[in-house]
Amino acid sequence: MSEATSNSRPQGREPDASPERARAVSHIVFNLALLGIAAVMFFHAGNLPSSAWEPIGSGSFPRMMLAVLALLNVIMIAKEAAKLRHTTALASGSIRDWLWQHRLAFGVLGLFTLYAIAVPLFGFRWATLPFVLACQVLLGARRPRQIAIAVAIALVMSLGLDALFRHVFTISLPRGALL
Amino acid sequence: MMESILAGADQLFTLPTMLTMLVGVVAGVITAAIPGFTITMAIVLALPLTFTMPALQGVATLLAVYIGGYTGGMISAALLGIPGTPSALATTFDAYPMARRGEPGRALALGIWASFFGTLISSIVLIIAAPPLAMIAVKLGPWEYFSLVVFALTIVASLVGRSMLRGLLAGAIGLIIATVGADPLMGVTRFSFDLRMLSAGIPFLIVLIGIFAVSQLLREVEDAEEVKAGKQLIDSRISFKPWAAMREVLAFPVNLVRSSMVGVFIGAVPGAGGSIANLLAYDQAKRGSKNPEAFGKGASEGVIASESGNSATSGGGLIPMIALGIPGSAVDAVLMAALMVHGIGVGPRLIMDHADTVYGMFMAMFLAGAMMLVVCLLSMRLFLKVTSVPKSVIVPVVLTCCMVGAFALNNRITDIYLLLGIGIFGYILAKLDYPLAPLVLGVILGPIAETNLRRALMTNEEWTLFFTRPISLALLTLAALSIVLALRYRLKQRSQNLALD
Repeated sequence: MSEATSNSRPQGREPDASPERARAVSHIVFNLALLGIAAVMFFHAGNLPSSAWEPIGSGSFPRMMLAVLALLNVIMIAKEAAKLRHTTALASGSIRDWLWQHRLAFGVLGLFTLYAIAVPLFGFRWATLPFVLACQVLLGARRPRQIAIAVAIALVMSLGLDALFRHVFTISLPRGALL
Repeated sequence: MMESILAGADQLFTLPTMLTMLVGVVAGVITAAIPGFTITMAIVLALPLTFTMPALQGVATLLAVYIGGYTGGMISAALLGIPGTPSALATTFDAYPMARRGEPGRALALGIWASFFGTLISSIVLIIAAPPLAMIAVKLGPWEYFSLVVFALTIVASLVGRSMLRGLLAGAIGLIIATVGADPLMGVTRFSFDLRMLSAGIPFLIVLIGIFAVSQLLREVEDAEEVKAGKQLIDSRISFKPWAAMREVLAFPVNLVRSSMVGVFIGAVPGAGGSIANLLAYDQAKRGSKNPEAFGKGASEGVIASESGNSATSGGGLIPMIALGIPGSAVDAVLMAALMVHGIGVGPRLIMDHADTVYGMFMAMFLAGAMMLVVCLLSMRLFLKVTSVPKSVIVPVVLTCCMVGAFALNNRITDIYLLLGIGIFGYILAKLDYPLAPLVLGVILGPIAETNLRRALMTNEEWTLFFTRPISLALLTLAALSIVLALRYRLKQRSQNLALD
């Protein structure tokens, strides 16, 4: 969130420590989440069966690594928490500004998520065609000529790629459960 | 011996063989240049096409795909910041910044020449030192392997970027990701939480594509104004000066030879391969450089190290295969299969029973290297045109290639969901300024470390063997030295920064 937060500061406002605070909060939240996952995995690893043939079982190596991760998470949280004391609160609306600034990235991510869901359902061809087209439109292909090029690219990437894999490489890309 | 060399040359330098090799080089370059498509994938797809060819022609064609692939991986690493293959990971560290500051032609030309010289050096080593190197490589027991991985893990110190803590955290996350799925020794399913997509583990390639490609592409479209104005990935006029790049590569002879030798050795160690060699060569180049602070900002030494290191593994990988019949990597296993399809038994007697084929393969390495050089130098202007394609086209096209690559890897729909999840995770890590390379390194080295640690202790419960076996001790000493040097460098840098402040 580093540069993004700093970019999102409304113009004309006095510089403050908000970006650093936002960074610290982000790191704390992220490391707390990782710590939680590490704890769950650590206990899960303890239940893995041991073997009579080897001194360390299936769970030992992951447990060692998880302990290291948890230790690093704690250090990171402590380091970032110390920064909170010296920084001021986030300016109001800064999260909204940040989200707005990243709208295209989130838009592409949303389309990619829909694409990943659609491939098994509608097959590679019919999921790729709208994805490539919609993505290009979202990223700026608005004039008729640009849209014509976008359609051509979408056709090549969907029908063309599918045909290439099927006929040349004899690899069948997903056909779609609903089709 | 002379007779065998001439017989090999007679079979190799024929029009059909040279033509299929040329096609192989082109196919290798193009396939590996597409993010998500690996060299192994290209070789596996090409294997059935070689069944009808004579033995040497078939193997030479596959070698051409192999060598073309090692260079092709560099193209998307330099132009898009996305490693085309795992072996081009370290190439992104300097080739991409170099391209972004307006020198994409220089980045590609340096990579091509470094790849060519790496292949050349490894071919020479292959001819001279195949039997003795193979003997050393197979003498490594699990203790030495584990120590080698510990040494390789110390590379993290070079890849951490601004914060050592964040780098270590990323490395630890990578090591843990690698533990998901079937346990490498007993086959026990770990951390699947009854989810089908996790029960088979998280394939390394999915992590690589998700972490680098998806997160990199999302970062490219953060600035809405830039994207809508039709901005390209790299703002530059196409300038491609291959001869100047050749002189630049040769201006760092120590770096070139050292990186190539790292590649040869890592290639000769079964199970390691180009994905580790490029990082290790990069790390050694940074440590040995007079300007280590330039690394990561577009240093030519970094590009040379990574590309010569990964290309040299092609010759290194053939060493245990030819001398002992042990494939050094998945690609070498496919090459071995190609020989076996033609009734040639691979093993210690290969060089005695089929000397003409073996010498033909040695010469094919040189020939494929030369073909790769010519093909790449002639076609790079075409590849450089990628830099003039608007982001609005590049982003969906590359994301689609990633999707295809993720699926085609194992023909599993669940890998598509994993790609999405890892991509989102990678984007979060990138936004929080965590270095991504240590994570990928952790995923590569984690299973090798665990397998060999457990195998060593299964063979003998005595921990001290890690310190009493000479090669293991030497590797651990190198690891300790590597950490001390990295810490010394960081402390020196910190004190310099304080003095400047």
